[in-house]
Amino acid sequence: MKRLLRPLINGILKENPILILMIGLCPALAVSSAAMNGIYMGLAATFVLVGSNLIISLIRKIVPDQIRIPIFITVIATFVTIVDMVMHAYAPDMYKILGIFIPLIVVNCIILGRAEAFAYHNGVIESIGDGIGMGLGFTFILVVLGGIRELLGNGTLFGLQVMPPSYKPVLLMILPPGAFLTIGFLQAIQRYRGGKS
Amino acid sequence: MLSHFLLLFIGALLVNNILLIRFIALCSFFGVSNSMSTSIGMGMAVTFVMVLASSVSWILWHFVLVPLHLEFLQISAFILTIAALVQFVELFLKKNSPSLYRAMGIYLPLITTNCAILAVAFINVSSNFSFIESIVYSIGVSGGYTLAIVMFAGIRERMASAPIPKVFQGYPIAFITASLMSLAFLGFKGLFGL
Amino acid sequence: MGERFYVSAPPHIKSKYDARYIMHQVIIALIPPTIAGIVFFGGRAVLVLLISVLSSIFWERIILRIKGEKRPLDGSEIVTGLLLGLNLSPLAPWWIPVIGTFVAIVLAKELFGGLGFNIFNPALIARAFLLVSWPMEMTTWMSPFNGITQATPLTLLKLQHSYTPYINLFLGNRGGCIGETSVLALLIGAGYLFYRGVIDWKIPIPYVLTVGVLALIFKQDPLFHIMAGGLILGAFFMATDYTTTPITKLGRIIFGVSCGVITILIRLFGGYPEGVSFSILFMNAMTPLLDRWTIPKPFGYRTLGRNV
Repeated sequence: MKRLLRPLINGILKENPILILMIGLCPALAVSSAAMNGIYMGLAATFVLVGSNLIISLIRKIVPDQIRIPIFITVIATFVTIVDMVMHAYAPDMYKILGIFIPLIVVNCIILGRAEAFAYHNGVIESIGDGIGMGLGFTFILVVLGGIRELLGNGTLFGLQVMPPSYKPVLLMILPPGAFLTIGFLQAIQRYRGGKS
Repeated sequence: MLSHFLLLFIGALLVNNILLIRFIALCSFFGVSNSMSTSIGMGMAVTFVMVLASSVSWILWHFVLVPLHLEFLQISAFILTIAALVQFVELFLKKNSPSLYRAMGIYLPLITTNCAILAVAFINVSSNFSFIESIVYSIGVSGGYTLAIVMFAGIRERMASAPIPKVFQGYPIAFITASLMSLAFLGFKGLFGL
Repeated sequence: MGERFYVSAPPHIKSKYDARYIMHQVIIALIPPTIAGIVFFGGRAVLVLLISVLSSIFWERIILRIKGEKRPLDGSEIVTGLLLGLNLSPLAPWWIPVIGTFVAIVLAKELFGGLGFNIFNPALIARAFLLVSWPMEMTTWMSPFNGITQATPLTLLKLQHSYTPYINLFLGNRGGCIGETSVLALLIGAGYLFYRGVIDWKIPIPYVLTVGVLALIFKQDPLFHIMAGGLILGAFFMATDYTTTPITKLGRIIFGVSCGVITILIRLFGGYPEGVSFSILFMNAMTPLLDRWTIPKPFGYRTLGRNV
């Protein structure tokens, strides 16, 4: 169990992909205009991450070093294709909102990065843990980002009206500048609290 | 006809700037832009690979995947094409133009994971662009990428000697800067009806 | 080796033209447009301007306290507050200037290192921020003297294709931001700044001329476009801010011309009726590049390799 938990918690806190490692930014900014989007995107990425980490860890001993990158990419692309088709079929509205960022998971630096940095060199259980951890860390930030932007920019949270009717939403928050701004401030807060959580 | 392409170009360059409005290719944006020379290098490399990758993936889609009803292989096929292209370009440059290879050297492998290139390949298909349209579009997008990253590099170089509050030094202020740049680009919204 | 070189930011030669002096001159130059705004829009204008200046000072004090700096008031926050207020509609709700000055002082200026280090014009960042966030509140204009709502000349042109008479544009008898409506008052203020040597002609004049020429090319009334909207206010008071505009002569002219191009493009073909704020902000972002690429070569200097 501990072999699973340690990389898991690492992914959420100490080496949080977005705040600390600065990878996987594109979807974080693009889909985080609402908290719910963050959950779906995060779960999709987590699924791919866990799946690819698992497979790559399983085959790590037999993959020749020179062609490992294309092999990684093929594995990741397969899982992304699965997620793409499943979401298209079972959550078409969200699929439309997340749009191009579902297939773009395949170049999400987090996934390739973890495959190379972790799954290729560690056992299956640890890799699954790392996948879940990084995925959850990613999802967590997406939801926080989405929540802040949705709350300030729309007055709602997960689609429910939270702010009083007299609140005039800050439209900028759900637009691109608002996304950059929110991450900038989140990182500053992170730094203020001492760099690593 | 020309105005149609011009509009396509300007839309990709400014109105829907790939970095500041569409949020694609951000890792490289923040990672590479702390120096002007790397930013220009990256911009050129992205332009080169993007146009090439757009053409090849377009051909692949229209002449192989669709006729053989292999559309579901789109994601795998495109990304492997890009990876292969980058590898090929690297080898070709290494052998035929070592100086250019050295100049672009580090960026080439990085480009495989550049979201923008893959994104443009997808958009060319989903927007049903003709071959020429996809070329124009990819030039516009890579132009917008280069513009934004070079602009950003200029600003970051200037900020290097500024007394920025400690908590914001480094990435936080970089994001805030990107936010304000994005705000400036919002002015192009609706330009020419785009 | 204990030698260390201390690299400080410009200016390195100080003279009577220090920050405080410049700020004071700008405040004086802004008096005519302020008076004009109050004359045309009455008590509401006074309210907006007052809140803007006071909250500007407030935010500046607070952020300095947080930073732990002890700088005496140098007038820059008054200028920012006044400029922002002049860029707002007289009908703006009280919280608009309060949030706006926060954005201008904290976000656009202090986070970047304070006076002299900001990349973007703070008042314009605030104006763009407010416009994008609260389009309704930021585009409700007042008719001079009688308080009913009225559109600006540019909006009237864009949506109803109707032209406002020159005399209205010139004197200020039209809807718009508090400080942008009276071209006469603005020119008086700008004239004062030229007289005092505080601003340089190389940005505002090319800016205004480019707008006029391009308007002609696109078969629009050049005089109308020069006088309507926030062009005079922007060109002479915002695009001349030393911190956010190029240092080199060529850079300044390019800056001015480019602003003109973008302004006309947005006005005639874009989604917003006015393009002055966005064009200046965009060019603010280009300024480091312009400075880099227009460094004059000393006579006889030859580059040995390609240095970018």
